[in-house]
Amino acid sequence: MNEDFALSQMEQETDQMLRIRYITNENAEFSRTGTGFISLKIEGEFYTRVQVVRMFPFMHKDEFISVRTTDERSKEIGIIEKLSDMDADTAEMIREQLTLRYFTPAITKIIGIKDEYGYAYWNVLTNYGECRFTIQMGGNAVVHLSETRILIIDIDENRFEIPDITVLSNGERKKLDLFL
Amino acid sequence: MILKYELSKENLALCALVPGEEIYYCLPLDIDLEGNYRHDSYTVMTNKRVLVLEEGNLTRQFELKECDEIRSEPQIACGIVYLVKGDTQILLGRFTAKHLTRYSYLFRGMQILKRGRTERVISNEYERSCPKCGRALPGTKECPRCMGKRRGLLSVFWEMLKPHVGRLLVILVLMLAATLATLAGPAIQRGLVDDVLLKENGEYGMAIVYLLGMLVTSVGIVVINAEKSYLCSKLGAYIGEDQRKKLFVKIQKLSLSFITDRSPGELMNRIVRDTARIKDFFSDVFCNLFTISILFVCTCICMLVLNWKLAVLAFVFAPFSVTLSVAWRKNIRKRFHLQGIKSDKMNNNLQDVISGMAVVKSYGQEYREAEHFDNTADEYARIQKGNEVFFAIFYPILSFLLGVGIYLVTYFGGRGVLLGSMSRGELWQFVNYTTLLYSYVNWMSGMPRAFMNLITSLERIGDVLNQEPAIINPSDAVEHEIEGEIIFNNASFGYKSYQPVLENVNLTVRKGEMIGLVGASGTGKSTLINLIMHLYEVDDGEILVDGIDIHKIKLENFHSQIGVVLQENFLFAGTIFNNIKFAKPHAGYEEVIRVAKLANAHDFICRLPDGYNTYVGERGYNLSGGERQRIAIARAMLNDPRLLILDEATASLDTESEYLIQKAIGRLTEGRTTFAIAHRLSTLKDANRLVVIDGHHIAEVGTHEELLAKKGIYYGLVQAQLKVRP
Repeated sequence: MNEDFALSQMEQETDQMLRIRYITNENAEFSRTGTGFISLKIEGEFYTRVQVVRMFPFMHKDEFISVRTTDERSKEIGIIEKLSDMDADTAEMIREQLTLRYFTPAITKIIGIKDEYGYAYWNVLTNYGECRFTIQMGGNAVVHLSETRILIIDIDENRFEIPDITVLSNGERKKLDLFL
Repeated sequence: MILKYELSKENLALCALVPGEEIYYCLPLDIDLEGNYRHDSYTVMTNKRVLVLEEGNLTRQFELKECDEIRSEPQIACGIVYLVKGDTQILLGRFTAKHLTRYSYLFRGMQILKRGRTERVISNEYERSCPKCGRALPGTKECPRCMGKRRGLLSVFWEMLKPHVGRLLVILVLMLAATLATLAGPAIQRGLVDDVLLKENGEYGMAIVYLLGMLVTSVGIVVINAEKSYLCSKLGAYIGEDQRKKLFVKIQKLSLSFITDRSPGELMNRIVRDTARIKDFFSDVFCNLFTISILFVCTCICMLVLNWKLAVLAFVFAPFSVTLSVAWRKNIRKRFHLQGIKSDKMNNNLQDVISGMAVVKSYGQEYREAEHFDNTADEYARIQKGNEVFFAIFYPILSFLLGVGIYLVTYFGGRGVLLGSMSRGELWQFVNYTTLLYSYVNWMSGMPRAFMNLITSLERIGDVLNQEPAIINPSDAVEHEIEGEIIFNNASFGYKSYQPVLENVNLTVRKGEMIGLVGASGTGKSTLINLIMHLYEVDDGEILVDGIDIHKIKLENFHSQIGVVLQENFLFAGTIFNNIKFAKPHAGYEEVIRVAKLANAHDFICRLPDGYNTYVGERGYNLSGGERQRIAIARAMLNDPRLLILDEATASLDTESEYLIQKAIGRLTEGRTTFAIAHRLSTLKDANRLVVIDGHHIAEVGTHEELLAKKGIYYGLVQAQLKVRP
């Protein structure tokens, strides 16, 4: 009897894992915890804090967002297909959490790059302010996301993005040449 | 790693510490919740409170006693820190990836302070960039650049040279000789010009004398330099060898945690590449360093004495020449570095496609891949062509520009000769010295880089040599013949002090008992075994072996009594015979054959063409997983260990070899205290007791039947396996 129960429970869990549940304005209600996070009520379930994850962080920043539990197993609660379909207040709340989770300053201006003994020292302006960082030369510090878009990972594993290298000035391109 | 950043006076005032309150940890919150960079925001933890300072304001504070935990959570390329109070989590702030590791220490820090204790959590991890000069650290504790400025370097240098003083003296003498011979060359040539060639009736005999002089100096220079290079290479090789040996001995002594914190490649680099760099420095740079410095000074003096005006003119062009050649080298390095990147890219592409050929073919993507490869190959060819052309065109121009000083010297010197203020021989001598001078200056311009490389290598080597082994036997350590009783008393441990893997483990294992360790992966089974093997030291609590603290038993003595069989057993390059007697080098033939029989290995070994002499290990005879396993079991048996560790010893084997190995293991474990980890629970049916580890703790202990009756975690695992493997 008990054995059957354990088995059916496992099957249930597997089924749940396979299911794609979309989160909509109708079935879900997000609210701010007041301490910096958001909670979620959905189809009779309640989560004191949920985590939001972009499935396609480089392609679709505001689509296909997986809402998950924050414990170690990080189970998926549901998927938001399009953030713009959610009501404004909810979308705003979720955007805040996404901003909190993802940190990739976009480089708007390269002030200088100095290379010295296997490391390159960058001084750049980003959309979040001026920043200096260091990358290792000859490694995989610079990743091409596309022909014109690059991602730079520094020695601390901070990420920086140049969304479009073609808009950089000639001088800046030249400084960058070594890494492309 | 810094866990307590210094606060400015203003910020300190904001904290308003009460008497008896002290700041324990202070970490930057270097971005705000939107992501904007901030430079004056901190999370501060004292022994009483947690405070948040934001851009010159104290924005929030919490009493330690009202908080349960402080947690940091890695996000994508950043992190957040929050307090836990019962069910609520309170977000404190956000920081960049630079501080991720730092923040993870706060958790343990707060736990300690909350218990009213006063010790500080210390991080043994290294900073990734120098807190002083901001340069990246090449995996070392100290910054090579900042250390280079200190006195330390010279003494390190001397330390290396000390055993080779005799050789060094010979080299110094040769250096002086080389200097004299080099300087003598142009002086003799001047004599030839002035005294023979330009005299109305120069004597034939004199000419021969001068020519002989020139021959002797030239041959002398060649011989001396050859001898000097030979000796310097030898010196370099010896010094390199010294360092390599020292490093190897040290690395073996260091605890596993030092090794596992670094990749094998990195350690190999330190032993191989860094010592080779030191060797190169001695044989290439050091060898010429003194000669050239002395020559440089002497040449300058000779030139000044000959004609000071011309000398000044020549000196003026030296910086120009240096700047030019440094700029050139930088440019060339950049160009060829770029070429290297493209070549790597092409190689990677090639490797990718070739190793994935089956996939490419089965999906019919040959054309697409070919096109892709064409593109990278084209790009590489374009850059390579550009570089070659650049080199071919600009190198001659550079050589010309570098020589511009010479032309000027010749012009003004020539005028002097015409005006009679300088002899023709003197001009000849002077021009020769100028050429020498420029070549020395150019050589010396490469020095800063050579020194930096040396210092970096020294630092990286010193970093290992100065490391204290984490497990040190106390002076009163004893030799002990293990009987086999193991007791865990409140043992806690984490590989990184802030991430506990095992907490408060209590377990008593009787002599000769076989314990099966069960639990999901990552719960700490292997860690428990590492602690039993005393590869790591417990952070808290104790482990007793026959009532003696494990810490008090001599390490080598202890290890010689343990047998280990792992899932993937490492066989050293060598014969099967040598591999079996690895733990007991003086074992006899009969002994080895007997254990091989016990391990069900004897028969397959006899079937191999080379029998016990079969060469295994890397590039050796390819043994199957089961065969390697049985050799490992024989190896473990030979030692007659009192304590046996089986870590997934039968996983990933086919049924037949599993049966043979089960039999072998059955013989091996008889009467020995055994700890066995297995995912396949059927493997553990012989175990006297099973220990289920879950969530850093021992969750259940008991026999198979007891645990089944309990219907707990073990029961669930058994059910799950029955389902998958009926």
